[in-house]
Amino acid sequence: MTRKQRRLTMIGGALAVLAVAAALVLNALRDSIVFFSTPTMVAEKHVGPGTRFRLGGLVQPGSLVRGDDLAVRFQVADGGAKLPVAYKGLLPDLFREGQGVVAEGALDGSGVFRADTVLAKHDETYMPKDVADALKKQGHWKDDYGAKAGADAKPSGGAVASQGAAPSAEGATR
Amino acid sequence: MTLWLVFALMTAAAIFAVLLPLGLRGSPSSDGGEASVYGDQLAEIDRDVASGQIGKPEADAARVEIGRRLIAAANQEARLALTSNTTWRRAAAVLALVGLPVLTIAVYLPLGSPRLGDFPLAERSRAPDGTQPLEAMVAQVEQHLEKNPTDGRGWNVLAPVLVRLGRYDDAIMAYRNAISYAGDTAERHADLGEVMAAAAGGVITADAKSEFERAVALDANDAKASYFLGLAAEQDGRRADAVSIWQAMLDKAPQNAPWRAAVQAALTRVTGATAPVLSNDTMAAANGMAAGDREAMIRSMVERLATRLKQNGNDVEGWLRLVRAYMVMGDRDKARGAEASAREAVANDSERLKQLKEGLKNLGLDG
Amino acid sequence: MIAESGHYALVLALALALIQSTVPLVGARLRDPALMNVARSAAVGQLLFVLMSFAALVMLHIISDFSVANVFENSHSLKPLIYKITGVWGNHEGSMLLWVSILALFGGLVALFGQNLPLSLRAHVLSVQAWIASAFYLFILITSNPFTRIANPPIEGRDLNPVLQDIGLAVHPPMLYLGYVGFSISFSFAVAALIEGRIDPAWARWVRPWTLLAWTFLTLGIAMGSYWAYYELGWGGWWFWDPVENASLMPWLAGTALLHSALVMEKRNALKVWTILLSILTFSLSLLGTFLVRSGVLTSVHAFATDPTRGVFILVILCLFIGGSLTLFAGRASALKQGGIFAPISREGALVLNNLLLTTACATVFIGTLYPLALEVLTGAKISVGAPFFNLTFAPLFVPLLIAVPFGPMLAWKRGDLLGAAQRLLAAAGAGLAAIALVWAWTRGGAVLAPLAIGLAVFVIGGAVTDLVERIGLFSVPLATAARRARGLPRSVWGSAFAHAGLGIALIGIVCETTWNTEHIGTMKAGDSVNVAGYELKLEGLTPRPGPNYRELAASFSVSLDGEPLSVMTPSKRTFTTRGMSTTEAALLRRGVSQLYISLGDTTPDDAIVVRIYHKPMVLLIWFGPVLMAFGGLLSLSDRRLRVGAPRPAKALRAMQAAE
Repeated sequence: MTRKQRRLTMIGGALAVLAVAAALVLNALRDSIVFFSTPTMVAEKHVGPGTRFRLGGLVQPGSLVRGDDLAVRFQVADGGAKLPVAYKGLLPDLFREGQGVVAEGALDGSGVFRADTVLAKHDETYMPKDVADALKKQGHWKDDYGAKAGADAKPSGGAVASQGAAPSAEGATR
Repeated sequence: MTLWLVFALMTAAAIFAVLLPLGLRGSPSSDGGEASVYGDQLAEIDRDVASGQIGKPEADAARVEIGRRLIAAANQEARLALTSNTTWRRAAAVLALVGLPVLTIAVYLPLGSPRLGDFPLAERSRAPDGTQPLEAMVAQVEQHLEKNPTDGRGWNVLAPVLVRLGRYDDAIMAYRNAISYAGDTAERHADLGEVMAAAAGGVITADAKSEFERAVALDANDAKASYFLGLAAEQDGRRADAVSIWQAMLDKAPQNAPWRAAVQAALTRVTGATAPVLSNDTMAAANGMAAGDREAMIRSMVERLATRLKQNGNDVEGWLRLVRAYMVMGDRDKARGAEASAREAVANDSERLKQLKEGLKNLGLDG
Repeated sequence: MIAESGHYALVLALALALIQSTVPLVGARLRDPALMNVARSAAVGQLLFVLMSFAALVMLHIISDFSVANVFENSHSLKPLIYKITGVWGNHEGSMLLWVSILALFGGLVALFGQNLPLSLRAHVLSVQAWIASAFYLFILITSNPFTRIANPPIEGRDLNPVLQDIGLAVHPPMLYLGYVGFSISFSFAVAALIEGRIDPAWARWVRPWTLLAWTFLTLGIAMGSYWAYYELGWGGWWFWDPVENASLMPWLAGTALLHSALVMEKRNALKVWTILLSILTFSLSLLGTFLVRSGVLTSVHAFATDPTRGVFILVILCLFIGGSLTLFAGRASALKQGGIFAPISREGALVLNNLLLTTACATVFIGTLYPLALEVLTGAKISVGAPFFNLTFAPLFVPLLIAVPFGPMLAWKRGDLLGAAQRLLAAAGAGLAAIALVWAWTRGGAVLAPLAIGLAVFVIGGAVTDLVERIGLFSVPLATAARRARGLPRSVWGSAFAHAGLGIALIGIVCETTWNTEHIGTMKAGDSVNVAGYELKLEGLTPRPGPNYRELAASFSVSLDGEPLSVMTPSKRTFTTRGMSTTEAALLRRGVSQLYISLGDTTPDDAIVVRIYHKPMVLLIWFGPVLMAFGGLLSLSDRRLRVGAPRPAKALRAMQAAE
């Protein structure tokens, strides 16, 4: 084999692998991606029953109903619309009313979202996108804790100072 | 000051790190280099041949190849002989000596807070007045209560602590909660009234008065409520009522009641001439108390006075009493402080200022 | 004082980094050794100041100085000491400080142990390292300053996210950072080589130990992160194809490719341009990971757009370094002389195939991670690319790679004999087939792919063993000779055999866990018992317990197998008062390399509790594999020929000759 042939073999092999990979990626992108919707978007777009998507929003306070055998029902709201969700299984630790949630599943014939997964993330700050925005609007995303320390405070003035910036215990969870 | 010293030392160390290699005359020979790597590779081939991992012909071919690299590397090194450039070394030294500190300061000053000391938690707990750990505890309890707002006992524990911290409004809330969740007792109503009075700078407000009345209704023998009702009468100008209330208390009270002295003193004050809050009589009365109680009583009274004056600084009489009280307690610094505050408070009022100066002179302080 | 000293030390580190990034370059241009050596002392100085700064932040967390905003937001006076310390890097500012500390650490190590490097190469490497460092110091000081003070210090901190209060957090992020920040050295070496305009096998020899070190840490870091997620998140999963995880997987894939291509370059002076490119790409992926995790772009594209300071800053750093280095690469790469030629069937060819598959796999992960982001930015549509995508793309690419793994070490350099290699691998292939048959027979009618995958894994392990056996001639020479040869075998050979075997072992774990995992979810009351995978689990009772800063409800399960009592498992659910959050503490019972796993859900009004019980066969192999790989990495690293700063044998040889 000449040097040129060798090189061609290599390049051919590389292209073959890349072509296979590209085919795999395109195929997977067609079949396995899931769109993300909020209740408002669901209402606007008239998502048909059976189409899988991810539903994100806040768990409507007071809507959580636990049934027999781990069945739960709750409503997901995004400020504009509400969508009832039915799920069977264990809810993640971070799940609670008034908090953000992402559920994956599809609508059934009666307009109830049948979730097969309810997601929790490692990090409490890793919130569903829309939820984060909603929280931001309400000013809960990050409490600010007084201006940057530029002025000189007397270290002895602790008693007065501590009242100035008492920590709000709930932070972003309220 | 120490901080800047530390900064200076650190800066010096950083400058030193740059200057150190610049100062070293005579360069070390270019240590390492490709030659040694290829030497290693040759040795490796020998080992591989010895262990029979590669055949002789392959080994020879490899040796030739590595030898070629070795020669190339040697040529390269020869072409790039080291030089020494004094001008640039000087420039680098100047950069380190001037540029580095200037840059550091220029970046640090707008970002840092050099005047802000440390606030480690442990140090706060050791604060002399002992209020700091209390505050930490209060924060804990408050958090707990926010979650369990119906815990009456919790509110009951929290309320007096809040009073001690001077957070009267919160304390009022706490007492109210304690009353609604832990029950209606005379003691709690009396305490609530007291805090209301304290919040109003010692004035028994209508709200406070009604609390005391409620307390007395629940328990006619509640000393605190009775005492404050007397005080309310005195403040309203109904001296006779005050006297009768207090007299009745003393009549009913057992000889060893801890508050006897205080009521006695109040009675003396109302019946006798107008005396300062801490009249000699009061001090004398206080002498009868246990040392700790006396101390606490005096302190609480003085503090209440100071708080009131902070809110309303026009009371020259009050200022003088405060200064005197501090002097009696042997706290000259605080006396001076109160004096200064008093001057500041009445500085705009020549009439009161004159009055103040006179009073101070009488106390042996220069007017 | 502590806070301000730490702050000042950080600024000094920036100043030193700026000097380190310029003066040695001038020195290298002028060939002035003193100016070039500034790089060394400055790098060491920089390391000391950053460590001082980091130590100051740790100290502030320990003493709960809430006048420092970072401490106030992420700590609490009642938190156990260990979590006060781990809380330092559990938040954005602290973790960025850790990031630069590790960057400086690697720079410092090169300065201290890089005596065998040519002066100008070392100067260039350290300069480039200092460019990166300067950019990140600025980032920290301007957008994420951990030493920002609060004039009126609050009395109590805001606590750390309880999910993060775990010992796994203490070790896993530093490990990950050691890994992917460590690749900065390969990057610096690559850029230095491009600046110098020459590159040779010696370069690969020098860069390899650093890459290997970073790779070892990254392997361990990823494994630990995965195990941490497994037991702390309480739902038994160990890999979620989460963007944060992908961010660490991509540099690992590229780094693995880099390790192999650098080997080709060192031994055969080939693949030079590619190796340089891989070095740049690997660290670029690390930077990308940092950007993804730290900019908040994953949390919300919108949040990123409305509060973009941090994100944009990292993005600028990212573009500057990736763009700059790739431009330099484009300009200089053609000038690099091509070296050693080889046939497609050869050790080199096998390593090229390895590189090809690894980088392609890396590219699919890249697409899967960034496509949703790009789509959202461009069209506003939100999609999620989850496990199915990666299973469909990543797995098919890894299968040929795994098949090829045993062949690589069997082929000779330059021109290999595929048939010969195949013959030598017959035993391994036989073992693989036997495993397939065995598993097939045992599970009968179950999943079709699983036995095949296990066979493949056994083949990979068998290949690694065969390689060792052949090299020491275990069955062809007397045992004593074999033992001597085994001792004489370079540690890097052992290392690569272990690493390859680790791959097979991890695969067995993954296949078994995903295929034969048994799960039971249900409500249980005290006295109830349930049978999972042959184990009888009885809920004895629920007891509330107080903890240092939480309350917990512990359930106690007695486990028995065939009526034989084995152990008691106590999973619990913790409620953290300060944040009003709860976490699940799973209970694990190890049986061989399999595990029983119990996590608790909510209690129901009638005093029952929701439980999740899993039996996970062979699950520990998933992490045992990477640990073995990392061990292989360390073993290779300890190989005298790669050891950094070790006395060179050439010299030793000469000394010995002189002594004779």
